[in-house]
Amino acid sequence: MLTVLLTARKISKHFDGTQALRDVDLEIEAGTVHALVGENGAGKSTLSKIIAGVVQPDSGELAWDGKPVVLRDPVEAQRLGVGIIFQELDVFPHLSVADNLTIGSLGAERGAFLNPRGMQSFCEPLLGEVGLRVPPGRLVSELSIAQMQLVLIARALGMNARLLIMDEPTSALSDDNAETLFRLIAQLKQKGVAILYVSHKMDEIFRLSDRITVLRDGAHIGTVLTSETDMNRIIAMMVGRDLDAGSGRAASTNQQVLLRVAGLSSRKLVNVNFQLHAGEVLGIAGLVGSGRSSLGAALFGLDPTVRGRIELRGLSYQPRSPGHAIDSGIGLLPEDRKTMGLMMQMSVQDNATISILDRLQSFGFLRTGAAHGQADEIHRRLRVKTAGADALISTLSGGNQQKVLLARWLLVNPEVMILDDPTRGIDIGAKYDIYQVIRDLSGAGKGVILISSELPELLQCCDRILVLHEGEQTGILDRAEATQERIMALATRTESLADPGH
Amino acid sequence: MAIDGRRIFARLQSVLGLAVIFLLAVLFSPKSGAGDRIFLEAGNLTDILRQAAEIGVMALGMTLVILNAGIDLSVGSTLALAATVTAMVLTRWKTDLGQAGHIGLAVLAALAACAAVGAINGAAIVSLRIQPFIVTLATMIGIRGLARRLTDNTNIDLGFGQDVASTFAKTGSDKTLVVVIFATLAVVCAVILARTVFGRRVKAIGDNERAALYAGLPIRRTRIWVYTLCGLLSGVAGVLHAAQNHQGNPNAGISYELDAIAAAVIGGTSLMGGSGSIGGTVVGTLILGVLTNMLRLNNVDSNTELMLKAVIIIAAVWIQQIRISPLARRKT
Repeated sequence: MLTVLLTARKISKHFDGTQALRDVDLEIEAGTVHALVGENGAGKSTLSKIIAGVVQPDSGELAWDGKPVVLRDPVEAQRLGVGIIFQELDVFPHLSVADNLTIGSLGAERGAFLNPRGMQSFCEPLLGEVGLRVPPGRLVSELSIAQMQLVLIARALGMNARLLIMDEPTSALSDDNAETLFRLIAQLKQKGVAILYVSHKMDEIFRLSDRITVLRDGAHIGTVLTSETDMNRIIAMMVGRDLDAGSGRAASTNQQVLLRVAGLSSRKLVNVNFQLHAGEVLGIAGLVGSGRSSLGAALFGLDPTVRGRIELRGLSYQPRSPGHAIDSGIGLLPEDRKTMGLMMQMSVQDNATISILDRLQSFGFLRTGAAHGQADEIHRRLRVKTAGADALISTLSGGNQQKVLLARWLLVNPEVMILDDPTRGIDIGAKYDIYQVIRDLSGAGKGVILISSELPELLQCCDRILVLHEGEQTGILDRAEATQERIMALATRTESLADPGH
Repeated sequence: MAIDGRRIFARLQSVLGLAVIFLLAVLFSPKSGAGDRIFLEAGNLTDILRQAAEIGVMALGMTLVILNAGIDLSVGSTLALAATVTAMVLTRWKTDLGQAGHIGLAVLAALAACAAVGAINGAAIVSLRIQPFIVTLATMIGIRGLARRLTDNTNIDLGFGQDVASTFAKTGSDKTLVVVIFATLAVVCAVILARTVFGRRVKAIGDNERAALYAGLPIRRTRIWVYTLCGLLSGVAGVLHAAQNHQGNPNAGISYELDAIAAAVIGGTSLMGGSGSIGGTVVGTLILGVLTNMLRLNNVDSNTELMLKAVIIIAAVWIQQIRISPLARRKT
């Protein structure tokens, strides 16, 4: 029978006034994948960090192999055999793969000096185990995100990890890299390694996990066998309400062309052609590196190498800068809200209104009342959970931060709205709220371009889906003909369509 | 506008620092013949304000620059340029504008020159894409050279007579005027920062330049204006400096940029940009001013003063980090 590796009992933790966890129980068995789900702010990260010794609980007990343990710091957890792979991969980019693997592992050190031969023989089996075929001397900064993640998994295995905590491991991976990771997870499971899999992605959770634990607002809502539940039940447990998936939206019938792109090329794009109609949602699909985001950037004036013809409502449009794009009626919600979107030290309201200050001023002075009114109304519409318009944006959860960014664009109110991976890494309730915004935008006759790494999302939201492969347009699929398989075939170029223009 | 508790606490922290230094100054103050503490005499307290005003005015501009995630090392040299240009126009130019007109012309020429220096800094940073530290390091060196070249390495004395230069020096070193100028500029800068579109953009760009680009903000224009304002404010400090010292000295203001940065940093402005306030900088300026005054009243050696300043800077910033850390460790 399965042996219980880790037991957490009645774990509680609070941070300046907010109760992050309240009497949470968790049992993880060896050789199983245990999914930990919940909306942002539910306490998943805190619980993971407590098990990894990064954060200390206020109360509650942990047991490892049935024996009570106290983890005062990450090193103690590592000695027991707990490895954690954070979402923001904490590699040492300027050190080699071998250095990254051996840091913290005593085997390869001799006193204060490094032992190169020992390092070599230490690293090679580990790299083999995770299937990473790069020379150990390669600098980590030269690796892809997927490879960095494998380095971290190898590092944890090098410390004899028996429990691996993975926090949103596929959030930055392309689909094929994710496949590689899933195979590795299956192998590790075979070897008796337990995995605590923290994720928002339901398809992954149902594919990989044996059990699912749901947290909501710091409380343990339930633990269920994956084989005995379904997605809707898990989502209902997570959000505490039923959600309207909004599938089967009426296809757009408006024929007015908002945006016409002909022969668009740039450093990263080759001959892209499409039209976007008023009220239409056009999806952009493609693997990482396919030029998905580059297409958005090109239309938004961020790429000076753009060539080709772009027409906006029949008028020629040469994007020069984001400011020019906005003035012309194009908006872009960027893919990474932290580095490209938010001013983290500013308030919710300032973040929402920063692009429309010109409309909220008289003689250069801000009319704070007007700013307040505008921001408040839109936040109510988007159901932003915040302590108030003056709360710092950094105090909000990821989903709510994303909604504030979206609010910024709704206030700008462009004719064509480009959304680059708008639901990445956010909780499911916020995700559905964003789908609703997309429906509202198209209902109001705006053109929406939805760039996404999640095919189900594209299939659900879009009227047509344009597929890119290495910067080239391999096809445009109508809603009726689009399936995950066909999109993947185009994205990997195992199928190509005759008429790329549509 | 409501301000949440943490921000009020942050404000209080630098004010608290000022209160502590003030109390220390009172405690350690030497006593006059009548047994009164010299530190608390009105004359001494207003002296502190006057002495702090020069660095204070520069620190206002520096705060705008640092909030914008930049730095301006050229302000000390710019101050010297303002002082020498003022003195040169006053002593070497002949006008028929009368004394007031002549003084006005001198001040205007100095301020225009300094604003131009700032605009050049800003333009070089945005168009050549060179880091602010390097651009302003270069202008710090170059403008110092310009000031020395203009005066052939000599001090231009303004004198103590009845002529226009002396009148300027007498008027411009008046305590009330100096303090009123500093206070007015501080209020103006605070209003710009808190209440104008420009101020909001300055902070937003400093907070996250990439996000500001994606939000369509006019980054280049805003940044050029920030450095222009900083140059202009250094010019004001330079004019005051010339008046208070009765001379246009091309070697004035050496290492003042560091005092200006220190005042901003002690007042809670983050060198990473995006966070800080004018109020904090005023408090930071006063902390440095009271410290200097306290040490001078007690005849403490000026080198010891420098060492103590070092401790104050580290302590002030360290205390401010204590309040940041619980936020940083917050769960996601």
